[in-house]
Amino acid sequence: METNQLISGVRHRLIRSGEPTLTEFNKITTIEGLRSHLQVAIELEHSTIPPYLFALYSIRENTNDTSARAIKGVVMEEMLHMILACNILNAVGGTPAISHKEFIPEYPTYLPHSNKAFEVNLQKFSKPAIETFLKIEKPAGKDAPPQPDRYASIGQFYEAIVDGLKRLGAKGNIFTGKRSRQIRPEQFYGGGGGLIEVYDLATAEEAISEIVGQGEGIDGTIEDNNHQLFGEELEYAHYFRFNEIHEERYYKPTDTPKGGPTGDKFPVDWNQVHNIKENIKMKDFKKGTEEWDMMYRFNKCYCDMLRVIHQTVNGEREKLEQAVMMMYQLKYLAQGLMNVPMGNGLYAAPSFEYVV
Amino acid sequence: MENKEYDVVIVGSGIAGSIVAKTLTQAGKQVLLLEAGLEAGMAFDSEGAYKNYQDYLRSYYMALAKVPNAPYPDIKDAESPNVLDMTQINGKPDTKGYFVQNGPLPFASDYARAAGGTTLHWLGTCLRMLPNDFKMRSKYGQAVDWPIDYEYLKPYYEMAEREIGVSSDVSEQIYPNMGNDFFGKDYVFPMYKIPQSYIDKSFIDGIKGLKVSLNGDVYTPECTSTPQGRNSTPNEKYRYAATVWNKTSQKLELKPFPKESDVYVPVGAIWDPYSGQRCEGNASCVPICPVQAKYNALKTLKSAKKEHLTLLSQAVATQIHIDTSNGNITGVSYKQYPHPDSKDYTTGTAKGKIYVLAANAIENAKILLASGACKTSDQVGRNLMDHTVLLTWGLMKDKVYPFRGPGSTTNIPTFRDGDFRKHHAAWISPIDNWGWGWPTGSPDTDLDHAVSTLNLYGKDLRTYIGDLLSRQLLLHFECEQLPEKTNRVTIDNKYLDNIGNYRPIINYNVADYSLKAFKASKTVSDQIFAGMGVQDYTNYPANEPDYTTYDGQGYVFRGAGHVVGTHCMGTTEKNSVVNRDQQAWDHKNLYLVGAGNMATLGTSNPTLTLAALSFAAAENILKALK
Repeated sequence: METNQLISGVRHRLIRSGEPTLTEFNKITTIEGLRSHLQVAIELEHSTIPPYLFALYSIRENTNDTSARAIKGVVMEEMLHMILACNILNAVGGTPAISHKEFIPEYPTYLPHSNKAFEVNLQKFSKPAIETFLKIEKPAGKDAPPQPDRYASIGQFYEAIVDGLKRLGAKGNIFTGKRSRQIRPEQFYGGGGGLIEVYDLATAEEAISEIVGQGEGIDGTIEDNNHQLFGEELEYAHYFRFNEIHEERYYKPTDTPKGGPTGDKFPVDWNQVHNIKENIKMKDFKKGTEEWDMMYRFNKCYCDMLRVIHQTVNGEREKLEQAVMMMYQLKYLAQGLMNVPMGNGLYAAPSFEYVV
Repeated sequence: MENKEYDVVIVGSGIAGSIVAKTLTQAGKQVLLLEAGLEAGMAFDSEGAYKNYQDYLRSYYMALAKVPNAPYPDIKDAESPNVLDMTQINGKPDTKGYFVQNGPLPFASDYARAAGGTTLHWLGTCLRMLPNDFKMRSKYGQAVDWPIDYEYLKPYYEMAEREIGVSSDVSEQIYPNMGNDFFGKDYVFPMYKIPQSYIDKSFIDGIKGLKVSLNGDVYTPECTSTPQGRNSTPNEKYRYAATVWNKTSQKLELKPFPKESDVYVPVGAIWDPYSGQRCEGNASCVPICPVQAKYNALKTLKSAKKEHLTLLSQAVATQIHIDTSNGNITGVSYKQYPHPDSKDYTTGTAKGKIYVLAANAIENAKILLASGACKTSDQVGRNLMDHTVLLTWGLMKDKVYPFRGPGSTTNIPTFRDGDFRKHHAAWISPIDNWGWGWPTGSPDTDLDHAVSTLNLYGKDLRTYIGDLLSRQLLLHFECEQLPEKTNRVTIDNKYLDNIGNYRPIINYNVADYSLKAFKASKTVSDQIFAGMGVQDYTNYPANEPDYTTYDGQGYVFRGAGHVVGTHCMGTTEKNSVVNRDQQAWDHKNLYLVGAGNMATLGTSNPTLTLAALSFAAAENILKALK
């Protein structure tokens, strides 16, 4: 399967031009450029996880099953993409950095290196939240022509990586990373697709196909490429899964991206949601109070988890098990917060802030 | 439906029926599968499957007694036995539950009549039988030899271990008299072992080197990790992608992965392949795994070839029809109920070239008896077996923190085989991870006792509970029961269910061969407890349903949920119901599958063996259909 074909449909997430750290990205000509490009990829993949988790946690238990499972599926795929990007970076001798202060965006935020077309908030499950998610995952249509010398979409962004991999690879072996730094499928699970060990151009391209295909769908279809690559069940790309929630209606396999979903209706109960405070911060509470402690404990757990994942992708892959335990913990801590009243009918929520 | 003739009609969607359905449909055969359970349980779209399973979970959370069938619908039109219905039998039949229990002892196990069958609430232990288990007559002068041996079943065991997704490390699987080539050279399980619990580790440390004497012989009990049908970390050395029918060789074969880089992917929940890819330690495997990390037969049925499979649920098979001229089966009658508890039903007859009964040993026997089928041997319904489980429990010296992880992750295989089988039953001893839950109802009953009887509260209560619960140790001694003609299932017009189908009448007792094993295993338990400093709390009250005495001592045993026998395989049409091909001696186009075929029980939980047998049966059916 040709990578270029896969990327033709492309998801968006515009890359802002003139971003200082991105000067190398227009055309990747050095191994350092390639590595920093991949580091940005990791940050991009991570940046959507807090808003998706925030919305997911806000759905009351045992309600909105279909919506909750759709969002959960997408979050898990974003985690997979993040680890896939780490694998590619490790394969080319880089060192993924995912536990530093700047790694978690401050919400509201523009997506890292985007063109500031829209802001992303930490928002409870709601129509506006889903509309933001749709913007995040929107495939670039014909009305968004690629601009010269600029990366207009995540698809092009990854295309540039493939291009760089090929160009640099032609000059000599760039896959100098230790195989022992790769996260392998047996270590990673539940992540909505296949983890791919990367050690040469072919496996790197396979990993990128997985990332790009899940986001926007391939070849102008609403399906992602899981079932083609892995023989898995038909699953729709992120944009279309969010659009199903927005339209409260399933796609049919015969539906087209333009036409919208025409399948069965399913109920979305926008009221079965914890009324949690948008873009909440720790500073909304007095330090030393129990509420502040609860906020801190969630953030501490999230940051500790990032630290463990950082170790995992830096040569200690057996540590992934510990990170999984923390992911379970996060949910319980978030549920605790959502029972803390803040007045005016609002409740506390996880703030996803960097703490030590 | 009435007019269509299928290649094969299967009754029952448990693991046996599902394996046969999957294998046949993937080989291109047209299959109709009848399931007595509710339509909702048959949902395979992610929405429907998820909703239905959440309903099961809600029932489980709400249930006061978390017995194996607690999560699953109690349907009047296709009733399931329930362990809560078991009481002592005093002279007249106990008809309280679905079973009519004639005794003298109540049969203590249940099964689930629902899509997916009893794998919905099995524990998941996946031990192969030992070579000598197939030769009880020639080796130990007891019961019968099977018409097949371990070598015959070995390739099918590998297929079953792939299908179920067994997690285990071959190097740790050491059993008595297993021979040199029990697992083939370089064999590995699809996934690495499920981590052993903290209680296991403490127990293994404590028992190390301990010697126990039994019948004048000295044994050193060994512990081994238990192979389990629940998801764990894939073993990258495992190389099989699927079990496929090879038309040329007329055999089922394990097909290797196409690519070097392919690895085994654990099969997740039926509603979401990414849920349940690892056991999460929810510790409610029996009665229900909330994430479906534990195998159930719906996973197999879901991977059948849909274009070739017709599912008919809420359809209770009642009778098979026999062409008296040649003994061939001409159809299966069923009653289909529109609502689970109504007296209404419609009837139909399913037709195929070949018929397969896979409805559980007791239900299969019921259908055969109702049809007057397989009469030559007079063995239908007889030889009902179960593992009779003696429990012993006590408090460890140190805290071992039970109530975590799957029900059992370690066992003592030392007494699974040996010359003692000439005199008494063999047994396997799982080490339980769930404290005294089974015999005493811990932890709820402990709290109740502390508050109501000891009048504890506050810090004293917390200390008491913390100390008691965290030191609880429970051992099982799952003793082999031999086939007995008088342990049997019968039917009678006097005992019918809500839609006029027969209820199983059960005559059941435990012979001396097993009772001697109670005494022997209790001796072993006493020596282990004494050697490890375990404070013994075991007691066998005379008012328990399965209280029995041997040699002046009282014992209480429990059922293991291993419903075996009733249409055993054998060497002639005089001594058995099916031949070595699992084909009925009396009816050439009838195959019986499931644990009912097992001629003896051994000390393995029967599911893995019946799954292996089901692959063998599917192969035989494909050969016959050619």
